[in-house]
Amino acid sequence: MSDSSTTETAEDEQPTTTTTTAGETVEEVQDEWIEYDFDGPAKFSATDLNVWYGDDHALHDITIDIPENSVTALIGPSGCGKSTFLRCLNRMNDRIKAARVEGSVELDGEEIYQEGVDLVELRKRVGQVFQSPNPFPKSIRDNIAYGPRKHGDINTGLLARLLGGDDREREEELVERCLRGAALWEEVSDRLDDNALGLSGGQQQRLCIARALAVDPEVILMDEPASALDPIATSKIEDLVEDLAEEYTVVIVTHNMQQAARISDQTAVFLTGGHLVEYGDTDQIFENPQSQRVEDYITGKFG
Amino acid sequence: MNTDASRNDLVKRGNSTLGVAAVLLAAGALLGALLGALALFEAFAVTDAVAGLSIARWFGVLLAGLGVALLGVGATSRAGLVRSEPDRTAGPVAGVAFSLVGLVIGGLLASQTLGFGTLWPIGALIVGAVALLLTVYPRGDLGATLPSGLLSLFTGIVVATGVIAPGWSWSPIPGSFTLPGDIAVPLLAIVVGFLVAWMAARAYGGFGTQGKQASAYLLVSASAAGMLALLVVLVSYIVVRGWAPMTEGVKWGLFWANWTYFYVPPIHRYVVIDGPVLWFHWPFVMNGHALLNDVNGIMPAIVGTVWLVLGAIVFAVPLGVGAAVFLTEYAGQSRFTQLVEVSTNGLWSTPSIVYGLFGWAFLVPRLGNGFSILSGQLVLGFMLLPLVIITSREALTSVPNAYRDASAALGVGKWETIKSVVLPAAMPGVTTGIILGIGRIAGETAPILLVAAGSPFPSDAPNVLTSFQLSATPPFVTNDALLQATSALPYQLYAVITAGVNKNAGLAWGTALVLLLVVLSFYAIGIASRIYFRKRLEA
Amino acid sequence: MSTADGGRFGRLQNLDEGTRRVGAGSAVTIVATVAAFLLFPAATIYPLLGFLAVVAYGWWRYQEATAKVVMALMTASTVVILGLITLYLLWQSVPVLRQMGIGLLTHVGATMWSPNDGVFSLVPMMWGTFLTTIIAMCVAGPLGIAGALFTSEMAPRWAREIIKPAIEVLAGIPSIVYGFLGFVIVNDYMMRELSLPIYGSLFGAGVVIGLMALPTIVSVAEDALAAVPDEMKDGSVALGATSWQTITAVTLPSAFSGVSAAIILGVGRALGETMAVTVMLAHTQTLPDPLYDVFGPNGQETLTSLIASQYGIASGDHMSALFAAGVVLFITVLTLSIGSQLVEARMREKLGGGA
Repeated sequence: MSDSSTTETAEDEQPTTTTTTAGETVEEVQDEWIEYDFDGPAKFSATDLNVWYGDDHALHDITIDIPENSVTALIGPSGCGKSTFLRCLNRMNDRIKAARVEGSVELDGEEIYQEGVDLVELRKRVGQVFQSPNPFPKSIRDNIAYGPRKHGDINTGLLARLLGGDDREREEELVERCLRGAALWEEVSDRLDDNALGLSGGQQQRLCIARALAVDPEVILMDEPASALDPIATSKIEDLVEDLAEEYTVVIVTHNMQQAARISDQTAVFLTGGHLVEYGDTDQIFENPQSQRVEDYITGKFG
Repeated sequence: MNTDASRNDLVKRGNSTLGVAAVLLAAGALLGALLGALALFEAFAVTDAVAGLSIARWFGVLLAGLGVALLGVGATSRAGLVRSEPDRTAGPVAGVAFSLVGLVIGGLLASQTLGFGTLWPIGALIVGAVALLLTVYPRGDLGATLPSGLLSLFTGIVVATGVIAPGWSWSPIPGSFTLPGDIAVPLLAIVVGFLVAWMAARAYGGFGTQGKQASAYLLVSASAAGMLALLVVLVSYIVVRGWAPMTEGVKWGLFWANWTYFYVPPIHRYVVIDGPVLWFHWPFVMNGHALLNDVNGIMPAIVGTVWLVLGAIVFAVPLGVGAAVFLTEYAGQSRFTQLVEVSTNGLWSTPSIVYGLFGWAFLVPRLGNGFSILSGQLVLGFMLLPLVIITSREALTSVPNAYRDASAALGVGKWETIKSVVLPAAMPGVTTGIILGIGRIAGETAPILLVAAGSPFPSDAPNVLTSFQLSATPPFVTNDALLQATSALPYQLYAVITAGVNKNAGLAWGTALVLLLVVLSFYAIGIASRIYFRKRLEA
Repeated sequence: MSTADGGRFGRLQNLDEGTRRVGAGSAVTIVATVAAFLLFPAATIYPLLGFLAVVAYGWWRYQEATAKVVMALMTASTVVILGLITLYLLWQSVPVLRQMGIGLLTHVGATMWSPNDGVFSLVPMMWGTFLTTIIAMCVAGPLGIAGALFTSEMAPRWAREIIKPAIEVLAGIPSIVYGFLGFVIVNDYMMRELSLPIYGSLFGAGVVIGLMALPTIVSVAEDALAAVPDEMKDGSVALGATSWQTITAVTLPSAFSGVSAAIILGVGRALGETMAVTVMLAHTQTLPDPLYDVFGPNGQETLTSLIASQYGIASGDHMSALFAAGVVLFITVLTLSIGSQLVEARMREKLGGGA
């Protein structure tokens, strides 16, 4: 059914496709397989989510439920809107002044785009790890304790000590627990007061994960967390992601399909123009995709 | 690990009572501060009576009212009557601020009111310590409101009861200044008003992290707005005062006059061609200083500035651009480049008066042994040089290496590449830097004062253009005008001030406006072109 | 200068023939030119013509080599100029140093500056400079950083696009204009309202200098803040920190070197500011009594205003003392400049670790 439509949506990426019919807009193509039933509650459910950057319509009517305590991979060619979608889940898109979001995203059944949402609270519950490691130019300890200190969960410093509420011991515990959680403790336990910028790229990225864990989030969003790393560091991050899924809901953006196949429980495929095309069990998506376009993409015909 | 019970609500229903009260409080406090500023700048007199009470006393009433309201807000939040999320403490910044206020009040009370004499630091320390404790020890909501509310209430009572009133005065140092009441009251209103607004903003954000953010944003935005407003007021003040003298006597019109005529042999007559001619007379910029002038003008100063700046450009621009090219394209990292870098930055930060001294000792004795345009040009050139080097280097390093590689890959030599690829690409940046540098040196006064300044009220401009003379003996080219002293716009303004502003008020404001227009238009052109080229690069 | 450095034969031999010829010729002639200008100014024209001839010939024969040599000489000119400034200031201040000794910088007494009695102590002027600079930075420091924070972190985009260039333009207002406004408005106001005993005060001058340094500080500090990468700020915000927490804990510390460079630049401006203080102060070369009295009639002179107000009537030791004031100023500012470069280099090293 989808042969002709496949070529149309792919025309940006594949100018060589010959059957392109000019004048057909992307909206006319509605071959989506996004029904996906899973047990248990949905952590996120997005309904008819649209995003514009200025005049650029970056996401089209995304409707998706993301299950709790599992790894969900978002894959697709570059420019397909998967990172944009990710940034909608903790409203980091609000920081881009030209961005406009319409539609609904619910976290545990609560709408995060309604008025009065406390962004601080939202981002405490939904942490994020970025594409390239971005530790603060502070010590490793200060990087981990950053979030809890800012939220007043841990008070150190002169004033706290004078008022009798010094949380040094709790901070030590927290730093160790988070570093262990991010599989970094063994490597840095003897130099917690060194500047984090002295770590290697892979260590920096795990530090960023540890930093996110310190805020005690429910969800961790990862935006191609291994794209700037070498293969060994990448495999460490991948192992870590699988472990994290026991306690956290992980949503990970990647353009590396092997990576998605290895670590995720379910996969959502975005294709050019900001459309969600197919969503389902990772095994099923990779072994038996419903959509011709997804099959083309996965088998490497484009993207 | 995640227990929902420990979670705060995702959605904050606006605690409208606290929010509305806080907004009203902050608005009232800022209004007080604004009125205080207006009174300080003599927009109205604090001794005037409004509704039977002098304005000074109204200030007191306002402050006392703000204090009571702030205390009330803090108390209701502490009692849990309104929803808020106070931090454990109001924080070190507020603590330091209020303990400083406490130190001042304690010191003043001890020395002025209670007569402690030299023991006043004791009083200062006691009140300061109490203020510190009151701020940081209680929970965030009380800590924010208690000291500020008490301060506002106390000041309000002092002012409202007339303890500090327009008739009051205070001179702490004999023979120095006297602080009168009609200055003290608005000053108090400004300071206390800002402190109250600061803490009211905390209340608006619920006394927690959001509150700290709101209060910080309020303070920073208010300072920035005040600063911008002040600078804009300064410029517009000069424009308003200077416009009339600058444009006095401007006449222009269209006249029918002959354009040209020529003799035509066959008809043995002159053919005359007439046409409309625009006639324009702007005495302030076209006249010099003379007894019989209708309007005394500053033409010699304008011409002097033009020559000085031109000379500086001719001297410094080739030198600076050449040095920048060498540093970016040829020189590697070496001792020499480091030395040059340090020297360039050193030259850049050297005060202008030091350049003046240098010119006085080095150039003046060697160039005609007197103040001269040439010395002024060279000194301004020395000042322009580091600016040209720094901005040109920036422009050259921002040329992508890909350009150089592409040219080199085509077999083009390095020097050819620089000439035909690198320099043209860097030209916009270089030009912009030069324009900005010109803006800076055109307004310099101090060096000109020491090496080039001539008569304060000249009648004629130096005639550089027609004074060039060739000779058979060295130095082969001479120009007497270049070796004469001159006036310049900034020097002209200085001369008017030293001669007495009252006698020449119009001339002073007019000169200031012309100087401002000349310098700022250089800056405006430079910055506009930089923005234009940057946009074009990004697009 | 490597091309004319006789001590490094190895490197000289690596140079091609054109560079060697033109380099030697032009170096000799330009050194002769400078020497002639220093010693026999009237004869400067001959070596200068020689230099031009060498360059012209070189341009015709070996263009690239000549261009390189000439540009290297141009580069060296900055070092030469700075060296000449240092040399001449020091040289000119030797006579007064011989007369006053170290007392020039330390002498405190009833008479501290009296050209008729041959007493020259820079103490009052150094103190005046210190006080005005402190007052100026109290105005310009906090307001400048607030302005930079507002422009770079808080203002909406459209506002930033207006404010940033406007601030830069305001930084160009010449100091004499500020001096004029200070003389006409600030001095007049303070005289009227605070019943000052004399027209002018260190306080008023300091405030005006502060306003003058303000746009420069805002502009430089704003550049430093804007250079902090967005990813770093995003990292903080994604942890649930508020934007103010992000500013104080991430943005400001990361931009610390740039912001402190802005402040040091402002201090340098305030120290070296001449015209506003010359116009606004009453030129009393005494110490204020008490020392912190910034309103009183005493002590109204800074190093810069001393030079600008007395160069016309000075000669001999008196003029030499003015040069000594210039030396003090020059060394202070140079130290600040080098210090800020060191701070910046250190910070770059520290932050450049792995990123």
